[in-house]
Amino acid sequence: MAKIEKQIVYNVLMALAFLVLVLKLFHLQVYEHHKYFQYSEKNRIRRLVLQPTRGLIYDQSGNVLVDNQPSYTLYAVPYECSKNDSATALLAKILKSSQSEIKAKLKKREGPFAPVRIRRDVDFETRVEIEERKLELPGFFFNVEPRRLYPAGINAAHLFGYLGQISRSELLNRKSHALQQGDLVGKKGLEKVYDNFLRGQIGYNYIEVDALGREVEDVTFPGEHRPRPGNDFYLTIDLRLQRLAEDLFKDKKGGLVLINVRDGGVLSLCSKPDYNPDLFTKRISGESWRRLVNDPDRPLYDRMIQSVFPPGSTFKLVLAAAGLETHKCTPSTTSVCNGFLRLGRRSFKCWKLSGHGKMDLLDAIKHSCNVYFYRLSLKVGVDTWADFARKFGFGKPTGIDLLGESAGLVPDTKYLDKIYGKGGWTKGLLLNLGIGQGDLLVTPLQMAQFAMIMANSGKYYQPHLVHKMYDRTAEKMIYFTPREEKVSGVSQKTFSILREGMYKVVNEAGGTGRASWLPDVTVAGKTGTAQNPHGESHAWFIGFAPYDNPQIAICVFVENGGGGGAHAAPIAGKIFRAYFDNLKLSGAIAKR
Amino acid sequence: MYDSIKNAKIDWVLVITLLLLLIYGLVTVYSATYTSDQAHLYNNFSKQILWVLSGLIVCAVITLMPTSWLYSITPGLYSFFIILLLLLEFIPHSGGTTSRWFQLGSIQIQPSEFMKPVMVLALARFLSKENHSPGKINNLFFVFLLILFPFVLVLKQPDLGTSLAFIILTIPMLYWRGLSGFVIFIICAPLVSFVAAFNFWSFFFAIILISAALLYYHRGAIVFWLFFALNISVGILAPVFWGKLHSYQQQRILTFLGLVSDPHGVGYQIIQSKVAIGSGGFLGKGLLHGTQTQLRFLPAQHTDFIFSVLAEEWGFIGSLVVLVTFFIFLYRSTQIAAHTQNLFSSLLTIGAVTIFAFQVFVNIGMTLGIMPVTGLPLPFISYGGSSMISSMILAGLILNTAVRRFVY
Repeated sequence: MAKIEKQIVYNVLMALAFLVLVLKLFHLQVYEHHKYFQYSEKNRIRRLVLQPTRGLIYDQSGNVLVDNQPSYTLYAVPYECSKNDSATALLAKILKSSQSEIKAKLKKREGPFAPVRIRRDVDFETRVEIEERKLELPGFFFNVEPRRLYPAGINAAHLFGYLGQISRSELLNRKSHALQQGDLVGKKGLEKVYDNFLRGQIGYNYIEVDALGREVEDVTFPGEHRPRPGNDFYLTIDLRLQRLAEDLFKDKKGGLVLINVRDGGVLSLCSKPDYNPDLFTKRISGESWRRLVNDPDRPLYDRMIQSVFPPGSTFKLVLAAAGLETHKCTPSTTSVCNGFLRLGRRSFKCWKLSGHGKMDLLDAIKHSCNVYFYRLSLKVGVDTWADFARKFGFGKPTGIDLLGESAGLVPDTKYLDKIYGKGGWTKGLLLNLGIGQGDLLVTPLQMAQFAMIMANSGKYYQPHLVHKMYDRTAEKMIYFTPREEKVSGVSQKTFSILREGMYKVVNEAGGTGRASWLPDVTVAGKTGTAQNPHGESHAWFIGFAPYDNPQIAICVFVENGGGGGAHAAPIAGKIFRAYFDNLKLSGAIAKR
Repeated sequence: MYDSIKNAKIDWVLVITLLLLLIYGLVTVYSATYTSDQAHLYNNFSKQILWVLSGLIVCAVITLMPTSWLYSITPGLYSFFIILLLLLEFIPHSGGTTSRWFQLGSIQIQPSEFMKPVMVLALARFLSKENHSPGKINNLFFVFLLILFPFVLVLKQPDLGTSLAFIILTIPMLYWRGLSGFVIFIICAPLVSFVAAFNFWSFFFAIILISAALLYYHRGAIVFWLFFALNISVGILAPVFWGKLHSYQQQRILTFLGLVSDPHGVGYQIIQSKVAIGSGGFLGKGLLHGTQTQLRFLPAQHTDFIFSVLAEEWGFIGSLVVLVTFFIFLYRSTQIAAHTQNLFSSLLTIGAVTIFAFQVFVNIGMTLGIMPVTGLPLPFISYGGSSMISSMILAGLILNTAVRRFVY
């Protein structure tokens, strides 16, 4: 039968192929067994995970803000030491830890041969002691892993954030399996927002070690696969201005936001009290952690983006814009201030009890007269006012590249009805909102964005912290283009009136913001003093400069600082001074 | 009459060897994915049990299905899977996933795996028609077209191993249908020489085999020496031609063929696999005691490199048992193919056997370092749903033939 013949041919060929496999198997497993057994038993190959160096963070002119330094992590191979009681006891003594803790760590493992992390960031003395007694500690070894370093001498802790061990839920939701239990990931701030870019890619090192754990040279095995460092980030932050801002707020609560109005880049973002980010690079003790968390001044909180406050008189500009756009007032609309306004049975005071007298709109902005704006708010009405507040970016997050940003609160009829019940609130509430008090809440960052809107007459950019990133994979710089926006429904004419008011606040006698005045650069601004039922008022100042061709906008906020003109405006003046001096300096250097 | 299951006789040799292979597979997957605390790896084992069980059901269904049904659904299946492969080509695949997969909920489906049984069915159907003798050039051309589309589509994924399986599959089926052995030999020999030429010993063996075959065919001294010289020169020129290429061109070709998909370097995988196998020795290190395995030195140790795990833990004896089980299974299948009366069934069986033999040889050869690293899994043993179901479909085709053959 032909088929039977074919079957024989087929099976002979198949048998030959199988024979090749069997012969090769015999060659490896019997003939060369000894050699390969040596590789696998006597000389162990250890696969070390090489942690990539995290991307660096620079300021806009290339100063290193966040760097890395080597630190030593103690590892152990469970197979070689978990049953060695004298070794674990000795190690516990050296590390000033308990033997049971070390044993527990040796049990958490992926396999008896996969190295387990015992202690991160072992200090020099301990390291020397362990190395000296290496023969008594088989299976333990060190691996160099990078740790964060902050060389610039600034805190900016809320910007950078910090790293921490990956949590169980983060481990479950991880995108890449390169992340392992015990790895460090960004927990807050930029470290968290850009964690995937900053982290880089792990590498491996395959080293051979003998029975005593000493490294053995062998070329049979490919050496290491270097980790790829994380991407470097260049921030919009200006180190000098950030340092100055932190100095100016050294003993104060509050902070400031300084924005480049030409692209929305944040030049300085300072929130005090803060903490030293270096605290988190070491093993943070339970006590110092508790102290941070329980501090009544809440240093972990970023006041510039997470906290909300009533904005005080700075918000009169919003009301003025609403009034002008809805034709409820013109620049020449005048009103007389006697120091108070009577509404029903209640009397609403102006901050100047003797009264401002007869004033037009610009004077009212300059002197920050309450009575003028009480009257205007009655004409405008709460919902129109709230519409305009939203047009200027209030009531929603700015979208800055930090986490936990608050939206603030812009109350309207619907909201007030919900809180106080329909008809449960009076027009008095409206008067308070008009001068930036009451239920209205904003973040200092929103106020800085508002200052940028004023500077650019309606055009603004999403506030952001990252200017560019060096992509290690593509080996090129990637620029982050800011989103450009425009305030709709507010005319250029209105902006020019408001800006003129802001000019008078700083530059004319009797203006509330005189303390931010500079001789050579024209500053414009608006002060605010937000009443605080729990204590001293909060001081506000928003402004921009130069008036004719603005470059920067600022919001200064001093918590419980008192009057805005006296306590916030001078800080803005100093920051403006430093900015323009730096500019002149670098201009002069460039000329030379 | 033929389709009736009344005279059915279970072929115990096939059933027992098949079950044995599945058991070896489960034990090895258990060891390869064993961890003391990480449950997500543990899951692989329970998933694999699920795949084996569903595979057995699929296998049983195909076994009991009338052969005429298989015959009639073939064109539809062929078109359906060609369309699936085309879709894979055109659906933009997002970060990380290669275009080998379809994501269906939480499971990934690899159409190229299912293309294997479909190709077997398609070729068997075409060649089983009375006037479709492969001696005619028209018929050969049609066969060429049948394999061309899946070959190109799978090669582009890139999955060299699977696409080669389609070609390898064709040759024994043509031979089985009556294409003269000499013609097949003339076509294949230079290709074998070309590939074998990259290693002295493999080339040496290839030339000896080719010479032996030439002598066997008795075509006279002139044919012998001409053909001998042709193969020698192909062997000499192949490395020269390869060497002429720039290293980046070589790299590009290798990458295109999917031969260097591993970021740690192919050499590393092979060395680790050889250390694992070699250190296993004669008797092996025992279940869960493979140091290389448990250290997770082995790349893809529960999928492509599962044989290394098996060989480390069960040694030469264990490896031999696995190879012998495979051989008995395949030998028995060819016997059935030879004795069955239905040409379609007979061709189906030979096709399935060829796919299995090819995969066993390429996969185990890869772990031993004598075959290039391609993504071909070891049938019945490697972890993976698509591969398991596809293999069980092929086994079903063989068993379908087996239960209906006339007792001899």
